Amino acid sequence: MAEKEFTQQQLAQFDGKEGRRAYIAYRGKVYDATDGFLWMGGRHQALHQAGEDLTDVLDTAPHGEDLLERIPEIGKLIP
Amino acid sequence: MARVAREMVERSGVDVDQLLELLVKNAAAELTTFYYYTILRVNLIGLQGEGIKAIAETARIEDRNHFEALVPRIYELGGKLPDDMKEFHDMSACPPASLPKKPDDVQAVLKVLVEAERCAVRGYTQICNMTAGKDHRTYDLALAILNEEIEHESWFSEFLGEGPSGHFLREGQTSPFVSKFMK
Repeated sequence: MAEKEFTQQQLAQFDGKEGRRAYIAYRGKVYDATDGFLWMGGRHQALHQAGEDLTDVLDTAPHGEDLLERIPEIGKLIP
Repeated sequence: MARVAREMVERSGVDVDQLLELLVKNAAAELTTFYYYTILRVNLIGLQGEGIKAIAETARIEDRNHFEALVPRIYELGGKLPDDMKEFHDMSACPPASLPKKPDDVQAVLKVLVEAERCAVRGYTQICNMTAGKDHRTYDLALAILNEEIEHESWFSEFLGEGPSGHFLREGQTSPFVSKFMK
């Protein structure tokens, strides 16, 4: 199956609010965090919002990429 | 609310509403963990389980202490706990530490316990990073809790064979770091 592609604008629509799915991007990959307890309503730890590319902010988070591996990867982010 | 105390934190550049949301989420994690650990502790039976019961109980009581210690700071800064307990549960900074499908699988219980502690270590590290050199009282509190969460993680991690950390179990009073906030 072909990998699904998302632009930044398309990604922004999946903000997890009002029943929408919660997608996040990291290093060109898109993940579906909708079913994760820590992404309920599209917000994560009061600091982050679904629908965004989190590549630049993971460095400041108190965890590494390993926790992203628990979230299903569903596509890639394209320029 | 402690008006000037909040004002000082605001002036230091901390986003107090964001900090409050994190404090409430971590308070929720502590109280819900206290609840879930009660169920885990009850199920720690048999030759293996009984050996872990004592530290699970210490961690359970200290997590409740963390909740008690966090609440005054939340209200000092002008925050509040949600009226609805269900809402409070669902906003927790950590996922539920649910009993594994096979409750007699002590390794599985240990993995739940260590994951819960690791989540807490991450949460208080975040709060310490946000408040260091800015909000001295919240930093002091978060650091005290972090010290205890790191010890909890170490206890369970050692039982999983992940290597030594050199900690001893509590003797006597619980919460050696956080008790100063509970007087």
